[in-house]
Amino acid sequence: MMKHAVRIVQSRILQRLRLGVQLDTDVNASVVVPATRWCSKRMYSEEAHASSTHLDRGNVVARVLNAVKTHQKVDPTKVTESASFQELGLDSLDTVELVMAIEEEFAVEIPDAEADKISSCSQAIEYIAAHPCAK
Amino acid sequence: MAGLIKNLRVTQTGSGSRTLQEAHRRSMDFFREACRALPAIMDRYNLQEVTTLADLRSKIAAEFRKHSKVSNLKVVDMLVFKGQEELQYCVDHSKQRHHLLGQYIIGKEGLAGDVHKLGETDHGESEFLKNFYRGNN
Repeated sequence: MMKHAVRIVQSRILQRLRLGVQLDTDVNASVVVPATRWCSKRMYSEEAHASSTHLDRGNVVARVLNAVKTHQKVDPTKVTESASFQELGLDSLDTVELVMAIEEEFAVEIPDAEADKISSCSQAIEYIAAHPCAK
Repeated sequence: MAGLIKNLRVTQTGSGSRTLQEAHRRSMDFFREACRALPAIMDRYNLQEVTTLADLRSKIAAEFRKHSKVSNLKVVDMLVFKGQEELQYCVDHSKQRHHLLGQYIIGKEGLAGDVHKLGETDHGESEFLKNFYRGNN
């Protein structure tokens, strides 16, 4: 809160000084609603909403694909970012098992409604990339 | 006895599933519940050296798959109920380590199968006789 106020004062002063420097204020940044309320981080300060809590996408993709490849029934050569679980020869039970494996990998808990929607690698990657508590 | 997992519903009141989809949803919800209880179970029975979470998940999935052909809704509800009961026993420590090892981790193949292989010598019997000796377990 203090940082926020200081930044506003700073920007006002520097505007007066006309230094021609582009100030990077996120005063008008939209608030990011956390994906789940079971998140252990309290989302009250602006810093908490910074996208630094989200994992880097390359990391997410690598780990998700790894979790898919290490599944017993999956042929590792067929796993790509756009593959759907049905294409990989998994039925509904295997899909749920795979989603649980991804939950374990990233130490998150995915609510049932969201988990039912995940039926391909890309959907899983999108979900995890957008999850603020993923580790 | 409430057990460790707070909202684990072992008793199932109500009219039961009305459609196959609902029954499927119930069984998948139970599968997720079981998987979420696994870390606590592994901790309780010191299964870290014996097996991994992924392995246990596969074993649970295999148990589910045994009943995959069932289409009678009441039977599905009953199976989910029995499964939840079993899970409750595992979580409560009503079972013991050797129960879990024998029933799930090593399984019947491991317990009975190895013993047979140890004592077996081939006297030139026919396949029929071999199967006869092995029995109908």
